[in-house]
Amino acid sequence: MSTATPSPLLDPEFLTKLEQLELISRKIFVGRMKGERRSRRRGSSVEFADHRNYSVGDDLRHIDWNVYGRLDKLFLKLFLEEEDLHFYTLVDTSLSMDFGDPTKLHYAKQVAAALSFIGLVNHDRIVLDSFSSALEPGLSSVRGRSQMWRVVQYLDQLQAHGGSDLTAATRSFAIKHPGKGIVVVISDFMDKRGYEDALRYLLARDMDIYVVQVLSREEVEPELTGDLRLVDCEDDDEAEITVSAPLIKRYKETLDAYVGGFREWCTRRGISHIFTTNHAPFDKLILNYLRERGLVK
Amino acid sequence: MLLPLAQANPVGGLNLQFDPPVPWSSAWGPTFWMALVGVPVTIILLYFLKLRRKPVQVPSTFLWKRSMEDLHVNSLFQRLRRNLLLFLQLMAVLLVMLALLGPQMKGSTRVGQRYVIALDTSASMSATDVRPNRLDEAKARALELVDSMGSNDLAMVIAFAESARVVSTYTGNKAQLRDRIASVRPARSGTSLRDALEVAAGLANPSKQFGEGEIASEVQPPRLMIYTDGGFPDVEGFSLGNLIPEIVVLGEPPSEAQSTPGTTAEEASDPGVPPSNNVAILALQTARNEERPDQIQLFGRVRNYRDEPAEAVARLLRHELDQPIGEGRLIDAIEVSLPARGARSFKFDLPDPGPVGLEVRLDLQDDLEQDNHAYAAIGRPRQARVLVVTSGNRYLLNAMTTATAGDAAEVVEIRPDDLETDDIRRALLAGLYDLIVFDRVAPAEPPVGNALYLGAMPPGEAFDQARLVEAPIVLDWDIGHPMLQYVRDLPLVLIREARVVDPPPGSTTLIESDKGPLAFITPRDGYSDAVVGFSIYGEERALNTDWHTKLSFPVFLYNTLRFLGNVEEGLGDQVQRPGQPVVLRAAPTADAITIDPPQGPPSDVGRSDLGTFVYNNATEPGLYRLSWGSGDAIERSVFAVNLFDPRESNLAPRGVPPEGVTGREAEPYLIKIGYTEVAGTRTSRPARLDRWWWLAMAALGFVLVEWYVYNRRVYI
Repeated sequence: MSTATPSPLLDPEFLTKLEQLELISRKIFVGRMKGERRSRRRGSSVEFADHRNYSVGDDLRHIDWNVYGRLDKLFLKLFLEEEDLHFYTLVDTSLSMDFGDPTKLHYAKQVAAALSFIGLVNHDRIVLDSFSSALEPGLSSVRGRSQMWRVVQYLDQLQAHGGSDLTAATRSFAIKHPGKGIVVVISDFMDKRGYEDALRYLLARDMDIYVVQVLSREEVEPELTGDLRLVDCEDDDEAEITVSAPLIKRYKETLDAYVGGFREWCTRRGISHIFTTNHAPFDKLILNYLRERGLVK
Repeated sequence: MLLPLAQANPVGGLNLQFDPPVPWSSAWGPTFWMALVGVPVTIILLYFLKLRRKPVQVPSTFLWKRSMEDLHVNSLFQRLRRNLLLFLQLMAVLLVMLALLGPQMKGSTRVGQRYVIALDTSASMSATDVRPNRLDEAKARALELVDSMGSNDLAMVIAFAESARVVSTYTGNKAQLRDRIASVRPARSGTSLRDALEVAAGLANPSKQFGEGEIASEVQPPRLMIYTDGGFPDVEGFSLGNLIPEIVVLGEPPSEAQSTPGTTAEEASDPGVPPSNNVAILALQTARNEERPDQIQLFGRVRNYRDEPAEAVARLLRHELDQPIGEGRLIDAIEVSLPARGARSFKFDLPDPGPVGLEVRLDLQDDLEQDNHAYAAIGRPRQARVLVVTSGNRYLLNAMTTATAGDAAEVVEIRPDDLETDDIRRALLAGLYDLIVFDRVAPAEPPVGNALYLGAMPPGEAFDQARLVEAPIVLDWDIGHPMLQYVRDLPLVLIREARVVDPPPGSTTLIESDKGPLAFITPRDGYSDAVVGFSIYGEERALNTDWHTKLSFPVFLYNTLRFLGNVEEGLGDQVQRPGQPVVLRAAPTADAITIDPPQGPPSDVGRSDLGTFVYNNATEPGLYRLSWGSGDAIERSVFAVNLFDPRESNLAPRGVPPEGVTGREAEPYLIKIGYTEVAGTRTSRPARLDRWWWLAMAALGFVLVEWYVYNRRVYI
């Protein structure tokens, strides 16, 4: 399906642009090594941040007893946390990502490379993982911009293969990476099993989650005519359609509803959802869109 | 419905039975029709089997399935839509099949229609009351008919005037028909529908025709479409057979209809003739003034067909013979005032101009230009040179030197002995004499020139069988022959003995007796030999007959002088009509004469076997110049061709009853062919157009709609 000759993942001009950027986290960590930014996550630093209601299972050590004495209600004291930023990137390498010109996978690699580069430049810990039907061995914990070649090398060798199982992948991911941090999932999220369970695993890890949903233009504006038998490239599932204006209209409505529903689901849970197509210039995405969403500054 | 009707016919196609039954042959065999029936079946099968779904790989069928699920609620529409495509395809195929069957659909009326298109090209069709003229209008109508012809239809084209000519034989080739119709030129002559009908009837049955490879049915009667203005007499005693005539009348109808149409054009003022916008010269004659022989008189008659009086100036123009006929030189003019629908005579007096062409021209505007001109030819009176070889036949010489005969001929007498002299032999071989009369003597070899033998036979084997008969009785003589004009008293003639022989082939017997032909005329190398088997004197100068005492003797000799001596009075005594052969005489030495017609290049005409010159191309009215070499000089003469035809000049179209006249009252207005009265129409109904064409167009339309629905995903 992919006919585009893969362009170099990052061209020098783009790299200089990226250098001016810096990853920020909406949460402030206190890391084992001194990090360069604050996490918004309440943690165990010395700097008080806020109170919140106690709920069952909270650490009793953080209860503000003074407040309990005064108000006869249990509150927890929350502290700002400061730590190293773990920047995880999870790239979907299933066959469905091999569509489009350039392929969605290529686009995902470019986004992943750019984000990793920004992370490396800002001394964050970069973890790159990929998945198709299951989580695959990734590139763990590189740090410092001198390691950029490893990122590019890793991304270059990724090939589209197999079906996609987002749920299994995120479960493995959550087990593999117990720490907190920022996770960016780049996929088309066209998983028949749904995305909800998968993202819940990440939410449970209390991670700062960004999802980048990449679709090819063919999926957004299908240019099909006639009586067709559509074959799913991953599971060979077939759908017989007779293309007609109402069907195309219906398809677009379904797509909008799906993307809209996904976005709403994410927003409710504090997940940043970014929708893009493989024809949107990816540097624009990095420079403008992600900055808007607070992933880079 | 189709198959039960279909039967295989011997040609290999189908015969569909209709009422009335119409045999119809198709190039398509039953196999083809079966295959065709299979097409819609296949389409339906394909729809059920969905064989045509093209596999396309997509990243995920996830959203598609959802969309389908949503649409399944709407599945009725989905089915309808699918059925719409199916319906459209089936309709398209059905229409194509109908188009292929199309000729039968209208078979009861129009299968393989045969048309005979008869175009009137006579002089009156050049009238300009219909712009540009009637003939062009007729051609346009005929082209309309050709355009509306079906693919199985055949048509032939006949152009008729004085005579009919087949312009195109039966063909279905429309391009050829158009070309041929466009090539029809107006003739200047009168109209004879009978001629056209005979030609049409002869060719009407196309099964007799093997010309252009069309095998036509005999069942379908041909339609005879006559495009005319009705300017011809009713055709009597003619059976149309299976021809279905349809007359399309061209020309402006007369403004009023109170009068019955004149089927015969009377000479005088005739209110029965419907008016038309034309003034015509209907006669022109030349004569020598009886009192003053040096004066020539031209008598003419002009007729006004208009419903109002007309003033016209008749101009007399002179055309010299030594230059091509041009505008002419005005020598006289006269004003003619004509009453409404009346005729007037006019007269010109002029001194004898010698050989010259004269034209009378009417200066006024009307619908027909041709009959505003009339032509007359004045030649030079020519004397015949006659050599009489006789041994003192006094009666013969006297008869040939009367005052009248002396004007016509210059007679030289010699004795039979003189035939042997060199002078006479040379003169005979050089053709110096127009006519040589041999009285009871025959030359050793035939002379160059016409000859009259009295009581002798010309040299030659054919005459060796001559036998002597005694006291023959004259039974009959050819009163139509010019040599026997005014000869009445032959039965009274007593003959003692005569020579008779069976005339050679090609001869005309002049006088028949109980013992055999007494006189005949026979052609010889372009000249004529007249033979009379007896003479005045017999052996020993005994009287052989008393013919010389009868009036018919000098009359016969005078006729012979004129007929065989090439005498011309020079006053255009015979009327030449366009389209008819013109018989000309010239000096006996000329082998060919050059004729310069008013239009077109000059042509040479050779001497015919009868010693005359026959010119067949005198189709245009006007002055025809003749020239031939005579010795060193070039002799010139002229003859005139005129169409003095009141019927052609009467431009009122005939054939359509006026409005409100029906039943028996309308009969006089109808054109009768045989015993059939045919009402003309002003508007030719164009034949119905091919319907298969429309079916095919509809099929194409359906295919287009289907394509649009299919490709553009229109919402129903």
